[in-house]
Amino acid sequence: MGAALAVEGLKLRKATAARVAAIAIVVVAPAMGAGFLAAARSDIDGPLAAKIAPMLQGTGWTGLMGFVGQILSIGMLLAVGVVVSWSFGREFTDGTFGSLFALPTPRRDVAMAKIVVLVHWGLDVAVTAVALTLVLGMATGLGLPDAAAWSGAGKALVIAVLSVLLAVPLAWFASVFRGYLPGIAALIGTIMVTQVITITGVGAWFPYSAPGMWSGMGGLELAATVTPVQLLLAVPVAVVGAAATVWWWDRAEVV
Amino acid sequence: MTATPALALLRADGVAKRFGDEPAVAGINLDLVAGEIHALVGLNGAGKTTLMRLLLGMVRPDAGHVTLRTDGAPVEVAHVPATAWRAVGHLVETPFTYAELTVTETVRSAARLHGMTADDAGAAAEQVIDELALRHWASRRTRTLSLGNRQRVGLACALVHHPDVLVLDEPTNALDPAGVLLVRRRLLDAAARGAAVLVSSHHLDEMARIADRITVLHRGRVIGSLPPGGTDLERLFFEMVYTAEGVTDEETLAGVTSDRATRDLATSNPATETEVH
Repeated sequence: MGAALAVEGLKLRKATAARVAAIAIVVVAPAMGAGFLAAARSDIDGPLAAKIAPMLQGTGWTGLMGFVGQILSIGMLLAVGVVVSWSFGREFTDGTFGSLFALPTPRRDVAMAKIVVLVHWGLDVAVTAVALTLVLGMATGLGLPDAAAWSGAGKALVIAVLSVLLAVPLAWFASVFRGYLPGIAALIGTIMVTQVITITGVGAWFPYSAPGMWSGMGGLELAATVTPVQLLLAVPVAVVGAAATVWWWDRAEVV
Repeated sequence: MTATPALALLRADGVAKRFGDEPAVAGINLDLVAGEIHALVGLNGAGKTTLMRLLLGMVRPDAGHVTLRTDGAPVEVAHVPATAWRAVGHLVETPFTYAELTVTETVRSAARLHGMTADDAGAAAEQVIDELALRHWASRRTRTLSLGNRQRVGLACALVHHPDVLVLDEPTNALDPAGVLLVRRRLLDAAARGAAVLVSSHHLDEMARIADRITVLHRGRVIGSLPPGGTDLERLFFEMVYTAEGVTDEETLAGVTSDRATRDLATSNPATETEVH
């Protein structure tokens, strides 16, 4: 699978879609977190602070990392989901799927390489976003990272990683429906369903709800009810999504 | 020239494929022999692309068999070990080009996927880029290339690993005369070193210059062959098509092909086979 990894890695490194998505997460998430926290601190009794207060789970590093974790729970799913949909769907939209037949590199290896490269890229983006948040926290006067900072950074990173894994099944949608737009439509549908399911109270047992709830989007009380098992449901979701995609790529024909 | 079945590297036996009620390919026998250029000619929709896709495993036949000779024995394409595809190069419809990659990156990527090591792929890519006169654009992203140059990149990707079997669907349709000459030279070189080449084209004169065999497809069936190196191939070609359609001139043919296409295709018998050597 080395050749497929090399080629898919090159395609992703050179892709505008991946660069834009990475910048959106790496820059926007830490900047929003640090900006909102700074705004809340400088306008303690003002209208801006009143609007921001419900989103902050505390002050200092705890507030910053908690807020960035919330942004990453939805931002990573969106960003990685779009890039996953593009990476798989473009082979059909651009008509290059046929070029991947009659090769000593099987199509299942190409599909698996895409998933590996995309997950790796998502993890890189997540680590960079959290690291930049630590830097911005120090730059905005929070001091050197303390235990709360590292704990919050770890939680934000876990949330981001879970969101990366939850984006993997979109590869199947983009493949089976042969285009990146169906993948993106599935992503939008997933987010809508997640909202509805979260409201109806099924909550954290729905894998796409768990990271957001744990991040504190529904409040700290709700976040405390999320269990590790519920969070780890993202792993089988990703594994099943990846397996279904690879299986489909192994058997699909050119149409 | 008479084909020798024992030397057939890629072979279709009674292959048929329908899309819905429409038979795209109906009971075709075809073989690609080492050292030969086999040309497929036919009108639009004759089944040339579908036949090539069947030969390359891109679609599965409804009937018949496609075999690739690997380790000396023919193996059903669906069961060919992945490594055996190392011997095959193809350009069918869309070239292997990704907008974000440069020409060099694209050709190297194709070489890697065709089983070459990173070092070998680099050297082979440089060589084929020169052979197809792509050096000027080597560092350009393929999205910036003209249609003709993208087609040349696709051809470079098909040739970079020096395949024993080459399947090319209208490789010159977007090329200028200089590009056509380059492709002609590459195909003749490939055949000279022992490769089996299948090429489809609308350019009958071009096929007459380079092909060892010319097979005529019409409505998914083989309706005959044209003499390679012969003259007035266009007249011979249309005589075959007129006979197949039961008409006598071009104007009537145009009316018949548009009015009767659906009915004729729907009543075609995919089990009927036509042997061509």
